[in-house]
Amino acid sequence: MEAHKIVGLLLCTALAASGCGSSSSSGQTEIRFIWWGNDDRAKVTNEAVKLFESRNTNIKVSTSFQNFQNYFEKLSTEIAGGNAPDVIQMDYRYLNEYAGRNVLLDLTPYVGKEIRTADWDQGFIGSGKLKGRQVAMPLAQNSTTIVYDPKLFTAAGVAEPKIGWSWADYKEIAGRIQASTGGKVAGSTDFGGTEDVFETWLRQRGKALYTDDGELGYSKDDLRAFWQLSKDFRDSNATTPAELVTTLNAGAEQTPMGKRLSASEHSYDSLYGGYNTVRPDELKLGPYPSDSLEVLGSYRKPSQLISASARTKNKDAAVKLIDFLLNDQDAGKILGANRGLPANLKIRESVAQNLSGANKVIFEYQKSVDAELGDAPAAPPKGDGTIYKLMQRKHEEVVFGKKTIDQALDEFWRDAEDALK
Amino acid sequence: MPYLFLTPWLLGAIGLTVAPMVVSLYLSFTDYDLFNEPHWVGFDNYAKLFGDDPRYLDSVVVTLKYVVWSVPSKLLLALAVALLLNSLRGKGQAFFRSAFYAPSLLGASVGLALAWRAIFDTWVDTPDYALITIVLLSAWQFGAPMVIFLAGLQQIPRDLFDAAAVDGAGWWRRLWSITLPMLSPVLFFNLVLETIHAFQAFTQAFVVSGGRGGPADSTLFYTLYLYERGFTEFRMGYASAMAWVLLVAIAVVTAVLFRTSRYWVFYGDER
Repeated sequence: MEAHKIVGLLLCTALAASGCGSSSSSGQTEIRFIWWGNDDRAKVTNEAVKLFESRNTNIKVSTSFQNFQNYFEKLSTEIAGGNAPDVIQMDYRYLNEYAGRNVLLDLTPYVGKEIRTADWDQGFIGSGKLKGRQVAMPLAQNSTTIVYDPKLFTAAGVAEPKIGWSWADYKEIAGRIQASTGGKVAGSTDFGGTEDVFETWLRQRGKALYTDDGELGYSKDDLRAFWQLSKDFRDSNATTPAELVTTLNAGAEQTPMGKRLSASEHSYDSLYGGYNTVRPDELKLGPYPSDSLEVLGSYRKPSQLISASARTKNKDAAVKLIDFLLNDQDAGKILGANRGLPANLKIRESVAQNLSGANKVIFEYQKSVDAELGDAPAAPPKGDGTIYKLMQRKHEEVVFGKKTIDQALDEFWRDAEDALK
Repeated sequence: MPYLFLTPWLLGAIGLTVAPMVVSLYLSFTDYDLFNEPHWVGFDNYAKLFGDDPRYLDSVVVTLKYVVWSVPSKLLLALAVALLLNSLRGKGQAFFRSAFYAPSLLGASVGLALAWRAIFDTWVDTPDYALITIVLLSAWQFGAPMVIFLAGLQQIPRDLFDAAAVDGAGWWRRLWSITLPMLSPVLFFNLVLETIHAFQAFTQAFVVSGGRGGPADSTLFYTLYLYERGFTEFRMGYASAMAWVLLVAIAVVTAVLFRTSRYWVFYGDER
C-alpha cells in the first residue's frame, strides 16, 4: 500500500467520528458540500440546498461549514484522508495550492453546457481558470475598499473618500482626523503589511503581484516605496500604533475599525456585513486613494469560488449542484448578496431590486466604482498564502523597530522566492 | 494468555502510536504534500532545517526561551504553594488545594487562552512581552506539580523536622537540609515531566497569537511552526522531519536530566 493511503487510513481512523467514506446505494446519490462562513450564511445556503434536493429527489446533499480560520486545515486533512467533500467552496488565494496539487476537478467540459454561463461577465469566468483549465467557478464578486466612519470625517472638517483622491490626500486627511480626536482615534489603519492593499497600490502603478509565469511581479524598490508610504503615515501621526498591526487578521469586530480605534480602514466590501454587526449603520464604503487618475487598482475579485473534488464519484450530481447555486433564479433569491455580488448578472439584477441594510451599502459601493474596476488577474501561484503571511510578519518587524525597511526587505525577498519554488 | 489481555492496549499502541510514528519517519525523508504520492528526497528536509531555514532556528530559540523561563517559574510557584498548603495541615487544606488546582483543570483550554488574550491585550500584541504572557499563563497552571509536591511533602517523616528543631535549626535550614533533599525525587519527576510538556506547548501560543506565532514571530513555538509548515503550507514531509528532530531533542534533554539526577536527587536508601 502506498504511504499516502496508509496515512489516509490513519487519519481516517482518527476522524472516524466524522464518518469516513460516504457510500451511495439504492439509486440515491449522496454528495457532500462544504463552505466557510457564519450562521447567516449557513441558514441561506442550507435553504438553497433543500430546494435543490426537492427538485432532484435522487440526490442527497449533506452540508457542513466552518469558520475561515479552520476551514482549509479541515479541508486538507479530509482530502488527505481520502474523504474529500464533493463540492467545495474555494478561496482565490488557495486555488493554486489545491488545483496545483491536482485535487480539483477540471470543469472545462461543463462550462457553457451543464454549467450555464450565458448571463455571465465572460472576463469574470476566467478568474476560476488556471493554465486553461476551469478548476473553479466564481460564486460572487467583491472589491477592495476603504471603510470609514463619516462622523469623524465631518468632525475633522475633511472630505470623505471619493474617486480621484490621492495617497497624499489620504495622509493629510487621516492626520487631521487623528489630531481632531486628540490622538484617541487613529486616522487610518496601518496598511503596510496587507498584501491586498499592496496589490491595489501596485496595480495603480501598472504592475501586478505576480507575472504570468508565477514570479513576483514587482521589484524590491516597489515594496520599499510601499513600506515607506506606510512609514510616512506613521511618522505624520496618521495611522494606528504598532501594537494594533497584529489585530488585522481577525474578524471585522477585532480590527481597529471594529474596536473604534481607527477612522478608516482598508478592507473588502464583502466584509461590510461583519463591520455592520459591531457598528450598525455607522460606517460607509469609499474608493481607494490613487496617485494615478486612470487606474483605481481595485478589481472584480471572486470573493469565493466553488469547485468539485477531482476524486468525486458523483461528478454529474456535483456539477448539477454547482450550476444550481450559481444560476438558478430561486436559489439566487435565497442566497441574495450573502457571498458578495452574485456572479450571474441576471440574478445580480434581480437581487438588486430589493436591497436593504448591509447588502444595500455593498451594492451601492460597487455601482459607484464599477466603471473603474479592472478584470481579476490570474489566481496567485502556489506559495502566495505563505507570502501573504510573510509580508505581514516582515512589516511587523519594521513597525516594532526590530528591523530597518531594507533588512526586512532582503529577508522578505529571500523567503518569498523560496516560497514560490 | 497474558498477551490476550494485553491486546486492547497493544492494538491501540500499534495502530495509533507506533504505526503513525513509523510512517512519519518515512515521510520525513520525502516531499509529501498531503495530497500526492510522496517522493524520496533523502536527508533534504533535515539539511534544509539546519542549513537554510532561519525561521526554524528562530522557533528553536523561542521554544528554548519558553522552556527555560516557564519550567522553573512553574515549579517554584508549585513548590511555594505546596509548602504553604502543607503548613496549613487540616485547616482548610483540602479547600485551598482544590482552589489552587482549579486553573490546571482548565488545562490548555482555548477559552482560557482567549481570556488571557483579553486580559493582556496590549502585551500580547507587543513582541517584547508576548512570550512573557504565555510564560505567565503556563506558570499560573501550576496545579498538577503542586499536588504532587504536596503529596511528597506529606511523606517526609515528621521526626526529622522535630529532631532538627531540637538541634536549633530554623525554617530555612530545615527547608534546605531536610525538605529539599527528601523532596528531590518528586522535584526530579516534576522537572522531567514539565520540561517535556514545555517543549510540546502548542495551544496557548496558537490561541494567543491567533495561530501565527506573532507579533513578529515572538511566540513562534516549535510546534506552531511545525503545524504551519504541515497544514497551511502542505509541506508534510518537512513537518515530519521537524517532529522527529523534536522527539530526538526531547529524548536527549531527558537523558541529560537523568544523568545529572545522580548528583542532586536523594533517594532515602542511599548514603
